[in-house]
Amino acid sequence: MSEKNYTGASMKRHMGLQASRRIGNTAAYIVLTLISIIWLIPFVCILLQSFRVESTWQVGYVIPQQWGLDNYRNLWNTDFPKWYMNTLVMALVTAVLQTVIVLCMSYTLSRFRFKGRTFLMRFMLILGMFPGMLTMIILYRVLKDLGMTQANSVPGLILVYIASSGMGYYVSKGFFDTIPKSLDEAARIDGATRFQVLKKIILPLSKPIVIYTVLTAFMGPWGDYVFARYISFGTSAGMNVAVGMYNWLNKDQIASYYTMFCAGGVLVALPVTLLFLWLQKYYVEGVTGGAVKG
Amino acid sequence: MKKCVSLFLTLAMVLSMCSFAGASSLEGTYDVTLWVGEKAVELTQKQVADFNASNTLGITINATVEAVSEADSATQMVTDVEAGADLYCFAQDQFARLVQAGALMQLGAGASEFVRTNNDAGTVAAATSGDAVYAYPLTADNGYFMYYDKSVIPEEDVDSLEKLIADCEAAGKNFSFEMQTSAWYLASFFFGTGCVSDWVTDDEGKFISVHDTFNSPEGLIAVKGMKKLVDSPIHVSSSSGSDFASNSAIVVSGTWDYDTVSKILGDNFGVADLPSFEVDGTEYHLGSFNGCKLMGVKPQVDAVKGAVLNQLAQYLTGEQGQMERFETLGWGPSNLADQASEAVQNNATLAALIAQNAYSVPQGQIHGSWWDLAKVIGDDVKKATDEAGLQTALDNYQEKMAALFTMSDDEMNGWTVIGSINGDGWTVDLPMEKGEDGVWKTTEAYAMDAGVEFKVRQGKSWDNNFPAENFVVETAGTYYVTFDEAAQTVALAAE
Amino acid sequence: MKRYSDLEYLKLSKGKRIGYRLASFFASIPTALKNGLLAVWHFLQNLGAGIGREISDLVTTFREGDVPTRVSYVIMGFGNLCRGQILRGLLFLLFEAVFIFYMVIAGGYWIQMLPSLGLQGPTKELDPILDVYVTTYHDNSFKILLYGVLTIFFILAFIYTWRLNIKQNRIAMKILKSGKKLKSGKDDLRSLVDDQFHKTLLALPLTGIIIFTVLPIVFMILVAFTNYDGTHDGYNNNLFSWVGLQNFNTMLSWKGSGGQSYAATFGEILSWTLIWAFFATFTNYFLGMLVAMLINKKGIRLKKMWRTILVVTIAIPQFISLLYVSKMFAQNGILNLFLLNMGWIDKALPFWEDPTWARVTVILINIWIGIPYLMLITTGILMNIPADLYESSRIDGANAWQQYTKITLPYMLFVTGPYLLTSFTSNMNNFNVIYLLTGGAPTNPAASSAAGTVGYTDLLITWLFKITMGAESQYYLASVVGILVFVVVAVISLVVYGAMPSIKNEEDFQ
Repeated sequence: MSEKNYTGASMKRHMGLQASRRIGNTAAYIVLTLISIIWLIPFVCILLQSFRVESTWQVGYVIPQQWGLDNYRNLWNTDFPKWYMNTLVMALVTAVLQTVIVLCMSYTLSRFRFKGRTFLMRFMLILGMFPGMLTMIILYRVLKDLGMTQANSVPGLILVYIASSGMGYYVSKGFFDTIPKSLDEAARIDGATRFQVLKKIILPLSKPIVIYTVLTAFMGPWGDYVFARYISFGTSAGMNVAVGMYNWLNKDQIASYYTMFCAGGVLVALPVTLLFLWLQKYYVEGVTGGAVKG
Repeated sequence: MKKCVSLFLTLAMVLSMCSFAGASSLEGTYDVTLWVGEKAVELTQKQVADFNASNTLGITINATVEAVSEADSATQMVTDVEAGADLYCFAQDQFARLVQAGALMQLGAGASEFVRTNNDAGTVAAATSGDAVYAYPLTADNGYFMYYDKSVIPEEDVDSLEKLIADCEAAGKNFSFEMQTSAWYLASFFFGTGCVSDWVTDDEGKFISVHDTFNSPEGLIAVKGMKKLVDSPIHVSSSSGSDFASNSAIVVSGTWDYDTVSKILGDNFGVADLPSFEVDGTEYHLGSFNGCKLMGVKPQVDAVKGAVLNQLAQYLTGEQGQMERFETLGWGPSNLADQASEAVQNNATLAALIAQNAYSVPQGQIHGSWWDLAKVIGDDVKKATDEAGLQTALDNYQEKMAALFTMSDDEMNGWTVIGSINGDGWTVDLPMEKGEDGVWKTTEAYAMDAGVEFKVRQGKSWDNNFPAENFVVETAGTYYVTFDEAAQTVALAAE
Repeated sequence: MKRYSDLEYLKLSKGKRIGYRLASFFASIPTALKNGLLAVWHFLQNLGAGIGREISDLVTTFREGDVPTRVSYVIMGFGNLCRGQILRGLLFLLFEAVFIFYMVIAGGYWIQMLPSLGLQGPTKELDPILDVYVTTYHDNSFKILLYGVLTIFFILAFIYTWRLNIKQNRIAMKILKSGKKLKSGKDDLRSLVDDQFHKTLLALPLTGIIIFTVLPIVFMILVAFTNYDGTHDGYNNNLFSWVGLQNFNTMLSWKGSGGQSYAATFGEILSWTLIWAFFATFTNYFLGMLVAMLINKKGIRLKKMWRTILVVTIAIPQFISLLYVSKMFAQNGILNLFLLNMGWIDKALPFWEDPTWARVTVILINIWIGIPYLMLITTGILMNIPADLYESSRIDGANAWQQYTKITLPYMLFVTGPYLLTSFTSNMNNFNVIYLLTGGAPTNPAASSAAGTVGYTDLLITWLFKITMGAESQYYLASVVGILVFVVVAVISLVVYGAMPSIKNEEDFQ
C-alpha cells in the first residue's frame, strides 16, 4: 500500500487500521504456526521413529531413547532396494511419457476445432464417472496375456499409468487456453505448420504446465497401492514401495518392521519432497493457470 | 511305536508307487514357486535345498520362495489360480474357499493316507472336505490364549475375567481382546458356554448345511459375559502383541506373537490359558478356536509335476520339516510324533495353548461369509443397553445365518433331474425349464445308456419327487427329460 | 416461482437472495434432468438418422461409381491405388488383410463363443500310476468375454474404415470430375503435421484410452449380466454365463433375503457417501481459501515458508502419511496415550470405534490432506482479484467480513464453480482416504450381509472393493454397484451443470 497524504479524518482511520492490522497479523501468525505444527507433526513423528534403535514396534512415546541408523541399514537386507528401484524407474518413465501424452491431448483440445471435438470431451467426462476399481481385473488379464505381470510388472504398470493418462487433460488444457490464440495465428500467416507453432511458440511458453505435469506424473507411482499390488501378484521382484512396505504392517510383521516402515517412508518421501521444493514455483503456476479454467 | 510303523508303511507305499512308475520318471529339474509366511522364507529355502540333497528320486527343485502371509495367500490364489504359487501355506479358514475356487489339488490315495496317519485328528479334519483330502497340515498352533504383564496382573488372578478387568482398571492399563473386528476371537465366549457352529461340506468344498446354536439361552449367557468386557473402558479390540508397548497389560493372541511379547515384557512375561467368566453365579471357562495352517498344492495339468510337488509337500510337512519349524520359529507341530517329543511338551507357550485346548473347539470347515456376519455380534453387543438388546444381537445373527442357505422362490419351486445320467452318482441337479405348455424340460439333451436311472425333484430336495420308482432308460440315446407338472408324469423326448 | 431480473435481484435483502438462489436451483433441477434426457434422446434419433443416411449414400455411391469404386467395396483401397494414391491404397489394403487374417485365426472363435461364454469347464481325473489328480482346463469364459468384446471393437473399426474407403472413392471421383488434382502420399504425410495435426497428436492418447479405459468399462458393464464370481471364475472352477437382469433384481429388490436388502444397504452407503463428499469438498474449499487468504494477507512475512510447509505434505505419498495418521488415532495410538498421560481424558477417545466419531475424524483428517491443494489453487485466483475492488470498498467503509462475502466469495465461486463439481464427484470416489484410514470401520451390523462387512465410513467405492475382494469375490455384484455409482455421479453432474447459473463459454478465455 502506498503512503499518500491523507486529510485528518482519514489519517486517523489509517492509524486505527494499522493498529488493528497489527493485532490481525499477530493472530494470523499464531494460526499459521498452529497449522504448520499440525501439518508437520506426523512427518516429524515418522522421521523420529525411523531413528529409534531400542525397539522395532509401536511405542507410546515419540522421542527415541537411543538414536541410530539401524533401521536404514536393515532396509538393505530386505527387498526394499529392489522395490525402490522399481518405483523410481516407473516414476521416471511415467513422468516422461505421460507428459507427452497429456500435452498432446490438451494442446489438441485447446487449439484445434475439429469434428467430434465436443463429443470427445463429453465422452471422456462420462468415462471418468465410472469407478475404475473393477476395470483393474480386466487390465490385469490383458497385462497377463502380454506377459507384463508378476516379475515383469514394471513395464505393465507403466503401460497402464500412461495409457489412460490422456483423460487427465483438464488442467493443462486450461493452461493452454490462457495462451492467446493470436500468437498461433500470426505464426500461421507467416507460413509455419501446426507442428512448428507447437514447437517454436507454445512449448517455450508452457514451462510451468510441463513441469506441473511431470511432477504429478512422477508422484503417481510412489503412492499406487491397490493396482500395483494386483499386478505384482505376490512376486516381490515386481512390487513397488507401497505394496512391499504395506506388507510390513501385517499383523505378524508389524512388531519387527514398524520402525523400518518409518525409515522406508522417509526414503520414499525424500525424492518427491526435494523435487517439490525445487520446482514448487512452477507447480503453483501450473495449477493456478490450469485448474480454474478447465 | 505303532505310529512309526504306520509312518514307515506309508513311506514305503509312496516309494513303491513311485518305483512302480519307475523311479527315474520323476527325475529332472522343476521350477517351483512357494508362498510361505514372511518369517518362514529362510527356513523354507533351506528345507528345499535339503530336499534336493536328500531325495532318492533324482528330483531337483529350482525354488522361488515368496513371502505371502498365510492370511493373504488365499485371496491372491482365488484372484488368479493360474499365476499363483505351486505350493502355498494358508490359514485353515480359507480352506473351503480355495477348494471351491479350484485352487487346491485333491490328494491321491497315498498322499491322503500320509496326511491321515501322521497328523492329529483336528488338522486332518481341517484338510478334508467330504471324504476328499485337499491339503497337508503344517502346524497345529492356530489357537489363542493369554499373554499378560506380570508386573500388573498377580498370578492368582489369571483364572477370572472379572478380576483381570478389575486389575487392569486399577492400574489404568488396557485389556486387548479382539471383539469388534474378528469372529475368530469373539467365538471364545460362545464356545465357553457350549454353543456350537458346525458346518458340513461335500467333496467339492460346497457347504450343505450348518448346525449353529449361538442364538440360544447359552448364547445369551455368552454375550452377557462379553458385555462385561466390552463395556469396560480399558477394553481394546485388538490382538497385536505389540499392544504391550502401548499400555496393554493383557493381550489375547497366539504363538506367532511370542517373539514380540517376550521382547517387550522381558522378565514380566506371563502366559496362561484364557480365564473364566461368571454369569448368574456360574463360572464358564472361555473357549477358543483350535486351528491349523495348511500347505496346499495348486492343481496341475502335468501328472509328473503334480507328483513331484506332492513329494516336496510331504517333505516340508513331514515329521522332520515340522520339527525344524518348531525349533526355528516356535510353531507348534501337527505331526503326532513331533507333538509327543519332549521339546514340544516342555515349551511354555505351547503349554498354555495345550491347556487352552481342553476348552477349545477344532476349527473345521466354516463358510467364508460366517466370519463377516458373526463378527458383527461384537458391535451389536457393545451397543446393547439391556438384555433385550443382547437378544437382538443374537436374533440379527441368526437371521443372517438363515439367509446363507435360502433359495430364491424360483429355485424353491423349480424342478431338476437327478440320477446316474453322465455317469453321475445322484449328486448333480440338471436344470429344467418350464415350457409354454406348462411342461418342464431339461435345458439340454443328454446321452443316456440303457439302464440309466433318475428322478425329477422340486427345490433340489426330496420333499416332492417323481416318478415314485426311479425312471429307467430302456434304449440308449440322446434325450431330453420332460416332466408334466399337472399330470405328474416323467418322460423322455428324443433330441 | 417468480424470476427476478438482475436489477431486482440486487435490490433483495441478503436472506431473500439466498432463498431465491436455493429456490431457483431446485426449480431448475427438473428442467436440467429433462434437458439431459432430451439430449440423450436426440442423440439416439440423430444416430438412427445418421445410419440411414450412410446406407443410402453407400447405395448411391455404388450405383453411380466407376469400376475401381465398385471393386473397392470388396477390395479396400483399390480405388485409391487405381487413382495413384498409393500410400492410402496400401494402408487400406493392409488393414483389410490384417482384419481377415485375425478373424480367421482367432476373432471368429471368440465371436462364436460369446453367446455361451464357453461350453466346458475344467475336468479332473486320477492318474492311476502316479496317484495324482490331474486337471485339464478347457474353455475360459473370461477370455471369451474379453476377446469377444475386443473383436467386436475391431469389427466396428473395420466397418468404419471400410466406409471411409468408400467415401474417399466418392470424393475422389468428384474432385477428378471438377478437374482438380488428388492429394499425393507426400501431401498426406505433410498434412499430418499441419492441418491434420490433431489426428497425429490424438492417435496415441486415444488408442490408449480405448484399450485401457473403454474396453475395460464395456467389459465391466457386461459382467453385471453374468454370474462371474469366485466360484464361477470362468476357468479354474466353473464357467460363468449370461444371467440377464437377475443381478439387478437382487440388488434393487427391497425384499432381499435375510438381514437388510442390498438396496437398503446401498441407500445407506450412498447417503453417507453424499454427506462425506459434501463435507470433504466444502470444508476443504473454505478452509483452504481461508489459509490462502491468511498467507496472502498484507504484512505477513515468510509467505513462501508457510506455503512450503503445507505443500510438502502433498509430496509425501498418502500410503505413508495416512497409514501413519490412522495408527496415531487408534485406541492405543499415540494421540490417545498422550491425552491419557496428560490426564486430560480418563478413557481413550473412540476415534475409529464409534460411528459418529469415525465419520467426523475422517472428514477432519481429509481437511488435513486437502487444504494444501486448495491453498495452492485459491492463492493464484485470490491474487487475480483486482485490488481496487477492495480499496474502493474499504473507502466505502466495508469491514473484512463484508469484503469477503461481497467480493471474494462471489468471485471465487464464479471462477471455481466447475472445479467444485468435479471435486465433489471425485470425493465420492475417494478410495484412498477411506481405505487407508479406516478400511470402512467401524462395522455397521445392520447393513452387513452375506455379501460382506459394511462399515459406517464405507463409501460406495470402498464397498465395491470389498465385494470384489471379499470372501465370495462377487464380481457381478460389484459390477452392478459400479454401474449404479456411475448413474448417481452422472445424474448429480447433469443436474448441477444444468442448474449452474452460467456455464462458462470456453471460447471466452482466448
